[in-house]
Amino acid sequence: MSGTPPDLPTLQQWMQQALRFPRAVARDEADQVLAASSQLSGVEGLAIYQRSYFLRIASCMREQFPALCHTLGAVLFDDFTADYIRARPPASHTLYDLGRRFPDYLEETRPDRDAAPTARETWVDFMVDLARFERQLFALFDAPGHEGRPFADPATPDGSLRLQPCFALGAYRFAVPLYYHDVRLGRAPALPPREDSFVALVRADYVTHTMPLIAPHHQFLAAMAAGGTVEDGIAAMALQSGRPPEDVRQAWQAPMSMRRRWIETGFFVAA
Amino acid sequence: MAAASVAERIGGPGAGIGFGLGLRNCHFDHILAKWPAVDWFEAISENFMDSGGRPRAVIRRIAEHYPLVLHGVSLSIGSTDPLNYAYLGRLKQLAAELQPRWISDHLCWTGVQGLNSHDLLPMPLTEKTLVHVADRVRRVQDYLERPLILENPSTYARFRQSTLDEPTFLRELTEATGCGLLLDVNNVYVSCFNAATDPVAYLDAFPCERVVQIHLAGHQHCGTHIIDTHDRPVRPEVWELYRLAWARSGGAATLLEWDGNIPSFAECHAELLKATRYSSSRFEAAHVAPDEAATVAISNPVDFLVPNVMASTVLERA
Repeated sequence: MSGTPPDLPTLQQWMQQALRFPRAVARDEADQVLAASSQLSGVEGLAIYQRSYFLRIASCMREQFPALCHTLGAVLFDDFTADYIRARPPASHTLYDLGRRFPDYLEETRPDRDAAPTARETWVDFMVDLARFERQLFALFDAPGHEGRPFADPATPDGSLRLQPCFALGAYRFAVPLYYHDVRLGRAPALPPREDSFVALVRADYVTHTMPLIAPHHQFLAAMAAGGTVEDGIAAMALQSGRPPEDVRQAWQAPMSMRRRWIETGFFVAA
Repeated sequence: MAAASVAERIGGPGAGIGFGLGLRNCHFDHILAKWPAVDWFEAISENFMDSGGRPRAVIRRIAEHYPLVLHGVSLSIGSTDPLNYAYLGRLKQLAAELQPRWISDHLCWTGVQGLNSHDLLPMPLTEKTLVHVADRVRRVQDYLERPLILENPSTYARFRQSTLDEPTFLRELTEATGCGLLLDVNNVYVSCFNAATDPVAYLDAFPCERVVQIHLAGHQHCGTHIIDTHDRPVRPEVWELYRLAWARSGGAATLLEWDGNIPSFAECHAELLKATRYSSSRFEAAHVAPDEAATVAISNPVDFLVPNVMASTVLERA
């Protein structure tokens, strides 16, 4: 930054680097580029931008991962966020994208990443799973949905049932959805033990429903999420549970079956 | 684009739409239930342009009942990155759907090399950067097929190489491109305090005849400097600037921004309506006293743009 006045691209790259890596900027360097007033020196003015850059994004990340922030505590969560945005700086015009890469980042940078899977820290697995769950919920909040149009009802034939667009399945190593909802209700849940957990997330009337699933039901819905029909779901569930397809079909069609509950919760539209 | 075309195409300074409020997610339910008597709303473009959920559905309904303006924070008109036509395409699509009175953004840059700091960063103000920004404004206006309205940002630093003051830069920009101006009187106060310059002199030099809209907001006075926090009522000294700006702009449309510690809709509306008193009385010099602030101030807060997803989620029984 010495010699001839820097051009606009150079100035902007310098300032952006200064925001991202505040400690890399020498005081003299900032004062060479930025003018002082009787209120603020150049470096003091730059410090306001540097501080606000981090605090602004940390604040948005806390909004996007409230349960993870609750679990880690705000100080530790902010530390993770600071590392994250240094490594994966925001690149989208929308703040909604801020947390998109956060779960993968946590997984990729876990301190025990070189250890065998069985030797890894359980709590790190939990944090990663919780981050994935929260990110999925956040994405569904504003994803294209089916509101304003008719959903399937109990009279819709099985052959016409299709999953609605604002639907997602999750599979976790802990009961993450139940933990999340305990936090939502203001409780202070303990970290749950390792236990496979499956869930369907679906938005209807702009409310996102979390429905815990058993493994066979998850298989059923996974087959439909891959573009399949109810018959494909029945076949997948039969395979997973080792039950004859006819038994699964009977369970599906029983009066108080998952068919009814899933339709009532808004899982399906009519093709 | 001729200078007069701004007024012609948006209906004259302020377009006679009166006193509006920044549309915030936490007020959606109140607005939809009460349809309050607010003249108009300003929506943050980025909060809606990608939305496939409730925000988009809500703003469609609001646009049916109220005049609407789209206000952006990520256009990055001063950046040396190429213009983001994917972003502009989404903005244009949103505008086609909502028919806003105008579209505004800031004289700033938000990032380079493909990044977005989500801040409104200051420009070096020179003849060269003026040419750069003017070229981009023209291209944006051609693409959007409407004039762009640009706002003076709040600033905490000035580049040594700047040779133009901000009012002059904006005057030349609007003459070169036909763009309109959004005069944020709180930003004038914040920037001038931090630069130790006179805000009234700033307004004296500002091309008020090109002002389409005025912004009002609260700030946090930190003693040695001021942070533009948008998290409290408008300060008396800003109201005095507003009184001048409103008269000189010929009664430009006025909007209150409240983005942090957002109170009830009624409280925001009551704060806005103070503007009607200041818009019809004489300027008085005001004293400045530091706030009793306990929290760390964030400039240009944006967390109000992030929805409270937890509140829109329920657990079904297994």
